[in-house]
Amino acid sequence: MNTDLIIESLPQLLHGLAVTVGLSVAAIAGSTVIGLLVATARTSKLPVISQLGRAYVEIFRGSPLPITLLFIYFGAVYYLGYSLNLFVAATVGLSLYHGAYVAEIFRSGIEAVHVGQREAAQVLGLSNSQVFFSVVLPQTRRIVMPPLVGQYISLVKDTSIAFLIGTVELMKVGQSIVDRTGQSVPIYLSVAVLYFIICYPLSVWVRRSDRKVVSQ
Amino acid sequence: MTTTTNLRDAEVDSSIRLRSVTKSFGSTEVLKKVDLDVASGEVVVLIGASGSGKSTVLRIMSGLETSDSGEVWVGSTPLHDPRRAREIRGHVGMVFQQFNLFPHLTALGNVTLALRKARKMSTSEANTVGMRSLERVGLSDKAESYPSQLSGGQQQRVAIARALAVSPRIMFFDEATSALDPELVGEVTAVMRQLADEGMTMVVVTHEMRFARRTADRVMFVDDGVIAEQGDPEQVLTNPQHPRTQQFLRKVLEA
Amino acid sequence: MTYQWQTVLGYLPQYLHAALLALRITVLAFILATVCATVAALARNSSVGMLRLVAGVYVEVIRNTPVLLQIFIVFFALPSFGLHFHAVTAGVLALGINVGAYMCEVFRAGIASVTRGQTEAAQILGLSRRQTFVFVVVPQALRNVYPATVNNLLQVLLGTSLLTAIAVPEITGVAIVINARTLLFVQVFLMALLLYLVLSNLLSLAAAVLGRVIFRPPLPIGFVGPRLPRFKRPGRPERAVVS
Repeated sequence: MNTDLIIESLPQLLHGLAVTVGLSVAAIAGSTVIGLLVATARTSKLPVISQLGRAYVEIFRGSPLPITLLFIYFGAVYYLGYSLNLFVAATVGLSLYHGAYVAEIFRSGIEAVHVGQREAAQVLGLSNSQVFFSVVLPQTRRIVMPPLVGQYISLVKDTSIAFLIGTVELMKVGQSIVDRTGQSVPIYLSVAVLYFIICYPLSVWVRRSDRKVVSQ
Repeated sequence: MTTTTNLRDAEVDSSIRLRSVTKSFGSTEVLKKVDLDVASGEVVVLIGASGSGKSTVLRIMSGLETSDSGEVWVGSTPLHDPRRAREIRGHVGMVFQQFNLFPHLTALGNVTLALRKARKMSTSEANTVGMRSLERVGLSDKAESYPSQLSGGQQQRVAIARALAVSPRIMFFDEATSALDPELVGEVTAVMRQLADEGMTMVVVTHEMRFARRTADRVMFVDDGVIAEQGDPEQVLTNPQHPRTQQFLRKVLEA
Repeated sequence: MTYQWQTVLGYLPQYLHAALLALRITVLAFILATVCATVAALARNSSVGMLRLVAGVYVEVIRNTPVLLQIFIVFFALPSFGLHFHAVTAGVLALGINVGAYMCEVFRAGIASVTRGQTEAAQILGLSRRQTFVFVVVPQALRNVYPATVNNLLQVLLGTSLLTAIAVPEITGVAIVINARTLLFVQVFLMALLLYLVLSNLLSLAAAVLGRVIFRPPLPIGFVGPRLPRFKRPGRPERAVVS
């Protein structure tokens, strides 16, 4: 095991990790916003809007992330020329893609809050928006967190796919070191460890909260 | 394993004896030195509030739970001896509140599964015994139906048929009618009464006071881990001696 | 029909060829995933501590690292240990091992969802532990996990798209090439998108039909297909699903 190589490459890898984290945070924000919008659309009473929301979800969940990224990449190149920012392109792609999944999580969360609760609140005389904000939303937040964080973990791992459009995140950095030195095992191992360090604690948190939600 | 094939064999020592049985779940002591006797052919009804320990008593008698201390004898089998506790499996029957029918099997499939796999009967033999069992509960026409296609009362009767198919010495009923809509309770208690008339030893945990009065040989009131009062159903239910029994029955009648 | 679409549709044979390859890889990887998942689920539920540990490590490592990295490891790193695979084989291996870890958790949840009452009823009737598992738990667990397993199948299909990174001529890879040649990225990638949508819907439909055939009583019609993330509603105990 070439530990010298690992130590040498650490600065580069950590730089890649920083980009990965930055990408993740940006895309988490983006996908959450999109997810809220789409979930709202899906639960809307207007058939046109809810159908649009449904179409969005079907399309982005039925196709692989690389296709979305490639669309954005070539689209950006076409309209902006090669001055496109790969980080932004990747963020947009990840946000659009994961936004569809986040939307479904929000939608299920809203629907999972027992219908009876909503009816009970309405009977008590609360207006529709009061019902939504004081009764449904607080409980939605609790239910929604575990799967939502689970989705964010997937997002973090999916930042590696931005590799395919050239974004210099951890995967790309690692691969370029491997290409340069031919030493795949120590580098891949390091890259794996770095991803693991971020994702595993989050996974443990999800499992623990999932159990808490069920027991309530 | 001995294969008993008819009810006559139930007379072969189907008595139950509990001596100084204690049971705790975590830090809660659920049974506190319980002494209990059920004679062969007797129908004993256990009543009490939830949490009183009546279901636990039943589950210990049927071998689903093991006592922490004390002796549990079902016939000549010592359930408190972990090496021998398994012997009563397949020789006693249990009917659950939630039915616990196997949803992926038909009614006949449910009834014959243990016969085919545990008793190693041939399919045709098992089906014969199974159909007879279903006839006893009046559901032979539903043999090919799946549990999801049956009403609650029918499902519970299939559950009874399933338990009866292995020719048990004793039948345990754990709140068998509590999960049923009121209009379906009657068909199940009718089957239970039929079994009692045929001489089956039965231990029944129930809230159905009417059933207790008409069918029980003895009623036991379980309160906070002990048997507070027991005796003739008429006496315990209409003229309880113990203050706790009086309290409980008053609450039940108010409901 | 526009000129762009005409050009791209001219490449239909290549697209279909790629789609078939993607389908083949999906099926093979899914079979491998099922095997891995079964072994791992049994191992994680076993009483042997070492088995539990190994399976646990497998599942956690796979689920917390990117699948693209796993694909690269199988294709680029394993040769250092003497294991050389063709790109397609490497793809099948990596995807199978990856989705297998996710399926393992699905299987375990399925087994756990069979209520204690079922096993108690079986016990009292005289069925042995093994008989209870085989004849009571597994049939129900199978029915419970079926929808999620179909999701895993679709997961594999979408995963084949990443194999373009190791030059497998599947749909995405072929699309990139055609795009390089025609520069009609909208039509080229829309075509790819359509193919993925068609394939995933076909697989869902086949799974729904298969489900009706093997499971009696039949699972309700709307039961199979891309599903919402598994939601645990508060207050609802996990119980066996009766249609």
